[in-house]
Amino acid sequence: MEFTRQEMMAIATGREIRDGDLCIFGVGLSMLAGYFALAYHAPNAISMTEGGVYGATPVGGLPWGIEDNRISANATCFSNAIDALGFLVSSGKCDLGIIGAAQVDKFGNVNTTGFWTDPTNPYFGPPKTRLTGSGGANDIGSGCKRVVIMMAHELKRFAAKVDYITTPGFLNGGNEREKYNFPGGGPVAIVTTLGILRPDPVTKEFMIDTYYPFSSIDEMKANTGWDLKVSPNVGITPEPTAGELEALRSVDVTGMLKKK
Amino acid sequence: MPNKLISLKEAVSGFTYDSMVYASGAALPVGSDSLVFGREIVRQGRKNIHYLAHCCCQQVNLFAALGVCDKIEGGFSGLEVYGFPSGLRRAVEAGTVVWEDYSNLSMPLRFLGAALGWPFVPTTVNIGSDIQWRSAFKPDEYSCKSKIPEVKDPFTGKICGALPVAKPELAAIHVTMADIEGNAILLGTEWSRYELARAADKVILQADFIVDTACMRQYPNLVRIPDLLVEAVVPWQLGAWPQCSVGIYDSDEEHMYMMNKMLGSADGAAEYKAKYVDGWNTQEEFLAMIGKEKIEKITTNPTTHLMDPYRKWIKTDDEIQTLMQESRFAAPTQAKQS
Repeated sequence: MEFTRQEMMAIATGREIRDGDLCIFGVGLSMLAGYFALAYHAPNAISMTEGGVYGATPVGGLPWGIEDNRISANATCFSNAIDALGFLVSSGKCDLGIIGAAQVDKFGNVNTTGFWTDPTNPYFGPPKTRLTGSGGANDIGSGCKRVVIMMAHELKRFAAKVDYITTPGFLNGGNEREKYNFPGGGPVAIVTTLGILRPDPVTKEFMIDTYYPFSSIDEMKANTGWDLKVSPNVGITPEPTAGELEALRSVDVTGMLKKK
Repeated sequence: MPNKLISLKEAVSGFTYDSMVYASGAALPVGSDSLVFGREIVRQGRKNIHYLAHCCCQQVNLFAALGVCDKIEGGFSGLEVYGFPSGLRRAVEAGTVVWEDYSNLSMPLRFLGAALGWPFVPTTVNIGSDIQWRSAFKPDEYSCKSKIPEVKDPFTGKICGALPVAKPELAAIHVTMADIEGNAILLGTEWSRYELARAADKVILQADFIVDTACMRQYPNLVRIPDLLVEAVVPWQLGAWPQCSVGIYDSDEEHMYMMNKMLGSADGAAEYKAKYVDGWNTQEEFLAMIGKEKIEKITTNPTTHLMDPYRKWIKTDDEIQTLMQESRFAAPTQAKQS
């Protein structure tokens, strides 16, 4: 079966979800990846949104937001931000969070805040390009046991140093995260349109773990702004099965991921 | 408790002023927000507002595009699937509005801290990131030590952060339904409206429906904003439009995109203001501006069953007009609500 790079990325992200996980998804692609997993291999995973809408399955298409009518029509509980992002995420109870990124560095630090003409300038003036800021991403990155970063693999996005750390990954690597006593464990994977990166267990530098059947190590390296290392156990990500694609497309009713 | 119904115009003229510290609720990008209250703030020409916004929403986008606010503290500066807020983006990139970043958890924690009278709120989020180290309000201070100072847990010696509390002088909060005394039920996520209503010095409700107090007596557990917190209640149908109000109306896809596009330029923003802020005076004119066909479309949505338990208590337009005359805010010769 034919599939797009976006579909491959969504399925590879969804595979990170284990049956029984308590998960938090944002809007857009991460929600599709999450609901794919629930529809296919993780029927006992529990999904929530940061708005505290629990027990819901979207109706009528991809929700416009984490709070809209498409996600609220069949919810079993309407709660609030402190409940979802606080009691369930920053407490350390949430197993897995999926976040997007405009920019990421080799230690999995994520920028979704903006780009500056000179990001090294200590003076923090207006950005050249303002982005969305954290939303719940910083809270998810600090609190979830496992975090998956899902993003397009492009040179401008994979930077040696991000302009702004919106969501902490492993900061400067090694055990620096421990200094802050974050309840969560940090990013376990960067799933991209070309492959999957995972952190070295000691240095926490992200390396190529697998690449997709249609991509290559060279293509991943060429689209990364640092000297991207390759795991000694590097392999090829299994391509989506017919069952996986069918489940994903049943969730992606608006065809968001079918765009080439 | 007294009857606290008030007209939109009087609520804004009586409770808002230039340079105030203001918050809207729920300040959701697509869902609940007191947007019609914000339109009236724009119309009455308020300036230099310091906006505490849990998230960006079209009210933030409108204020930023038209120069109504110059400082914003918020957790999210997008409009979710509707994209980047072009009015806000234009103002922040030009430096006419300064946006101080927090996150979607730290903003309600800051409201909670203010509500409890705490000096600060200990936090395990936002620390170790540029949200802690960079301050748009103090651009010279890097690494910033005064935005979210690092503190030691006095019991364990471990490091955490100290969030400043967020205390608005006024919170204008959109609710699904309220009675005339200010008891409110919120359908959909309440987001941070529970904490915000307790953090603010004063609270004004903007309610899609006015219901009889018997409704609150039937479902007292669901009243998350009680009358004792509320100064006044503005009855206004479709008040969050073009955003959605769970149980009543969907977001207006066409207008959400159009509004965002228009706010992206100074000329477009002025045109938007002329037509959609200054171009109506009464509730009837506001509904006519949206249009019957559009109202039919957005009120046909998958959540309308959520309103079923409450319908028998909803006050009619005529009943509301009569109640307005009996309100504590009614002038002896009060004109028809506008």
